[in-house]
Amino acid sequence: MSDSAQWKGYLISYSNDSLLLQSPYIYSDSPVYGPDSDSTTMTVAGIQYLQTQGHQISAIRLPDSVDARVVFMSTSVDSPQRNEELDSATVDWHVIEGDEARLVLSQSDAEHFEFEEPTGTELIDADLFNDMNAAWELECSKQHVSQGAYVSQSQYLEGGAARLSLASQKFDGQIIWPPRQMDSFGNRLPPEEGLLSDAATVESWTKLSAAGAPSEFSLRAPILGGIQTLLVKFVEGPRGVFLVCDDVDYSPNIGDKIEFGVRRIYAQEGLIRYGLKAIPFIV
Amino acid sequence: MNFPSSLQVGQLAPLKCPWALHCRSMFVAGNGAFLDSTGASFGLGLKNDRLNQMLVLLGHVMVDVAVIGAGQTKYGNHQLGLKGMWAEAAENAFASVDQDFDPRQVDEAFIGSVAFGGGQLGNTAALLTEHSGMEGVPVRRVENACASSGFALRDAWMAIKSGQADVVVAGGIEKMNDLSPERKRFWLGVSGDTEWERLAGLTFPGTYALMARRHFHEHQSTHDDLVHISVKNHMHGFENQHAHLRKQVSFEKAASGFMVADPLTLYDCCPTSDGASCVILAADHVVRQFTDDPVWLRSSGAGSDRLALHDRPSITQLVATQKASKSAYSAAGITANDVDLAEVHDCFTVAEMIATEDLGFTESGQGGMFARDGQGIRNEGSVCINPSGGLKSKGHPLGATGTGQAVEVFKQLRGSVESGRQVRDAQIGITHNVGGSGATCAVHVFGRDRNE
Repeated sequence: MSDSAQWKGYLISYSNDSLLLQSPYIYSDSPVYGPDSDSTTMTVAGIQYLQTQGHQISAIRLPDSVDARVVFMSTSVDSPQRNEELDSATVDWHVIEGDEARLVLSQSDAEHFEFEEPTGTELIDADLFNDMNAAWELECSKQHVSQGAYVSQSQYLEGGAARLSLASQKFDGQIIWPPRQMDSFGNRLPPEEGLLSDAATVESWTKLSAAGAPSEFSLRAPILGGIQTLLVKFVEGPRGVFLVCDDVDYSPNIGDKIEFGVRRIYAQEGLIRYGLKAIPFIV
Repeated sequence: MNFPSSLQVGQLAPLKCPWALHCRSMFVAGNGAFLDSTGASFGLGLKNDRLNQMLVLLGHVMVDVAVIGAGQTKYGNHQLGLKGMWAEAAENAFASVDQDFDPRQVDEAFIGSVAFGGGQLGNTAALLTEHSGMEGVPVRRVENACASSGFALRDAWMAIKSGQADVVVAGGIEKMNDLSPERKRFWLGVSGDTEWERLAGLTFPGTYALMARRHFHEHQSTHDDLVHISVKNHMHGFENQHAHLRKQVSFEKAASGFMVADPLTLYDCCPTSDGASCVILAADHVVRQFTDDPVWLRSSGAGSDRLALHDRPSITQLVATQKASKSAYSAAGITANDVDLAEVHDCFTVAEMIATEDLGFTESGQGGMFARDGQGIRNEGSVCINPSGGLKSKGHPLGATGTGQAVEVFKQLRGSVESGRQVRDAQIGITHNVGGSGATCAVHVFGRDRNE
């Protein structure tokens, strides 16, 4: 017997030792990933769910399609794919990937699981699905590079923990996020140690037309009809700007509560950049 | 000889120091050290407020700075390349000097630019002076995003104040419209916090849209207030022969423009312009060689703030503007009430609304009402905001904008703009040049008279 629910924009079905995650979007009678999701983002969501259920996950075995570095930066859960020196005896969880947009996280390496069918699926627009897939394919090529300013791979990785897990600094009674280098006296600030809470309030928002989007979004912004950004304030005080998950049909209001999920942001030079995106909070 | 570190204002007022003559070319450097004309340090560090007090106190012995000439290209979509545009702006500036001007008289040059579209990333300033009769002059490019030439002007002013130079050129240039369609997004989002804002899809229309929506929420301003600003600036720019967009727009048309970044429409956004501008400054003791009708650059103020919008305590004010204007007004001995005309950095209409508050023309949060009431219209209120048409109508060739604003103020104060758009009885004008969404700002005060 399992419980069915929604989590981080995905449908889940949970039993004591395993978790099914499924994209809510259906195309040709099968679940497919939404505009900014993939097996990496769904794996991260699955691990985060298990952690909220009290599971202490030491390490996890991942399929090749999952970016192990992103999983580690998002959840602090290591994997043999990222860390070759990892003791295989510590790998206590497995991610099993199906042909469709479904994953199972389990402590068992069984090939057959039984879950209650998740509810809450919705049909995805066929043109949107096909156009987005084609755009991502182009964008993921090594030849695709940004114009003007851009975030280099090293810069992306340097801020990875803060961007993917909301790792923050604590200094002089204040919580600092995104991380800063020095205080106003020229002293180096401590490294990130705690995590911001996964909830914030909308302070402002905009929807930028496709023509005005940075070049990293030039292939997908026209398909989506623009990109929507929220300025939010965390409970702990810091503010941040975030895109909206899956370009869901959401008309924000100042004061709205939101939570976050790891999603694809864009790809460049063959590397997909991941980060947190905002998910409207469902009471 | 050292000043005491706990220096009191009154202690220096008499300036009966044994090196009083030396003071004429003394300069309080950015690190607070006192430098004489040979660069020797008198020691001690002072920070901003103290430094400004010192500059005021020393004003009657320090050199004053005048604008003796200023010129620019028309802003817009230019056929000219970099060298041609700069030469045209420099030529117009040289020609505006009342007496003969020989560019070989220039001691230093500072040229603002952001990126030239990537076409000439290094040693751009040397290339430009080489092609404008200033070969061999010490020159450098100044980059502070859209405030590049505002800071070039400040650096030029400081060079004369320091006693190291008597005649200095400050200018700016940007060529934005010669990129191929494949590279046209080069300019989008280059001056924000790349790592955090760009990864959230933000370019400046989006950043300023966030500010606008928050201002609406906190201060009950509305998009109609922004429309009033757009209509005013198009009206001001209509008769400006150097303006990029010389067309008047109705309230209804401006209110119903294509949505660029909700809530900002096309009529809230400045155009992408090519252009160059050039200003010639001179020390008081050489001014009369060039003109009997100088405009005095009475003070320069500057400030900075955190680059990313989300790292600031408030997004409905620009602290850098507040710091820069406070410093500039104080050094010039004026208040906002004394300003007759202001060239304000209206890259987006909301930027002008917020600037009218930060510059002290209205109370905090009242920028919307200021616009709604028709304040800022030429010869109708106490201050004319953007008599040139501002960035909205005149155009915004990033690196050229700051000194382009100075060209306008120079001409307004000398009464040499087109007659239909002259601000009556203008005695004091300011320029307000902002980098990006407010990370940097330079404010300059110009007057018909020198500082008292």
